[in-house]
Amino acid sequence: MKTFLRNILWGVALIALQTTAMRLISIEGIMPDVVALWIVVVALREGQIAGTVAGFVSGLILDVISGDFLGIGALAKTVCGFLAGYFYDEFKSSEVFGTYRFFFAVIFSSLAHNIIFFVVYLQGTEIEFARTIIQFGIGTTAYTSAVSIVPLLWKRT
Amino acid sequence: MTQNNNKQIRALQSFAIAFIGYTQDAFSFLPNPFALERQRNTLQELNVSLSEEVSFLRSAALENLHLRTMLAFRERSNRTLVAADIVGKNIHLMRNTITLNIGKENGIKQNMPIITETGLVGRIIAVSDNYSLGQILLHRESRVSATVERSRVNGIVAWNGGLQLVLKNIVKSVDIKPGDRIVTSPFSSLYPRNIEIGIVSSVYHVPETIFQEVGITPSVDFATVERVFVIISKDDSERNAFEQTNAANRQDQ
Repeated sequence: MKTFLRNILWGVALIALQTTAMRLISIEGIMPDVVALWIVVVALREGQIAGTVAGFVSGLILDVISGDFLGIGALAKTVCGFLAGYFYDEFKSSEVFGTYRFFFAVIFSSLAHNIIFFVVYLQGTEIEFARTIIQFGIGTTAYTSAVSIVPLLWKRT
Repeated sequence: MTQNNNKQIRALQSFAIAFIGYTQDAFSFLPNPFALERQRNTLQELNVSLSEEVSFLRSAALENLHLRTMLAFRERSNRTLVAADIVGKNIHLMRNTITLNIGKENGIKQNMPIITETGLVGRIIAVSDNYSLGQILLHRESRVSATVERSRVNGIVAWNGGLQLVLKNIVKSVDIKPGDRIVTSPFSSLYPRNIEIGIVSSVYHVPETIFQEVGITPSVDFATVERVFVIISKDDSERNAFEQTNAANRQDQ
């Protein structure tokens, strides 16, 4: 129960951070996805089902906040949590930050998240798919992965 | 997936916007370091030709001028305008929206147009008591019925994913050229007529189609805009209901 509440509090705090303060470190409209980072942490600590549920709920909340139509964020973040769950190791679940496992889980699940998001999001628009995937999909993945590597570098030094 | 039009979703959205609005308001004084870097470079260029004192005075004068322009614009406009500060800009994953520090208590409702003295910004998509969420023109769902001011050609303005807009449904035979001013159409049910949207920056005849691609540079600089007006438009529900009923009747026939 304590872990559950802690995860919810972190989730709410990071959703608030994502929608308010992350623009302060945005580069050309690209910012790290700290909610995706939280989903990966939940998946690596609690397993695939917890990661999937965390992804769905946080994605749905972000959909509501965005004023956009519902479901895209929920779908993409559900997949993000599900894929991150494949990196779960019950014997190493307490060691998440500062591990290569966390870094690779972030790259893999964040890239899948962004591709799924933009494949659906750009349907029926004038927006060029390839350019968007490269600029925003890969850009956001790179920025999010760069943030996830900070604990690893911290640990190494 | 569904559109966010039912009552429960609206209530949830209203709560979320109020929460995010208050939080963004609290963070709105903090600058973006990367934006600051760009601003620093610009200021360095200015310093070549201007002394520090003149630069400071110019900045103050510009702000004064900006506020006076806004005031004059408000006075000469025959529409009812409500001024608002942008307290948050949401740009994550191309879901480009702005949070305004006005809401239901200021008479703001969904679909009201947002403008500045230079042109159209977008429209209100969700409202709480003291905050509202605006969808800017640089958004995947933004569609504006527009007219080329010179030749009175009509089309639909949409976003192309970058910093430009595109004018859709323009056939090759139509008279349109770079420099033409694009304004809101008289046929729009959302936006008042003749609000500037942008200037035609490029015209490209797409091979093997009857249409041409028309690029538009928006009149509003969305990166720097800080203050806007919301047009308190009268309820046009009768027109909307009439048009929807007619469309439904035509489908039935």
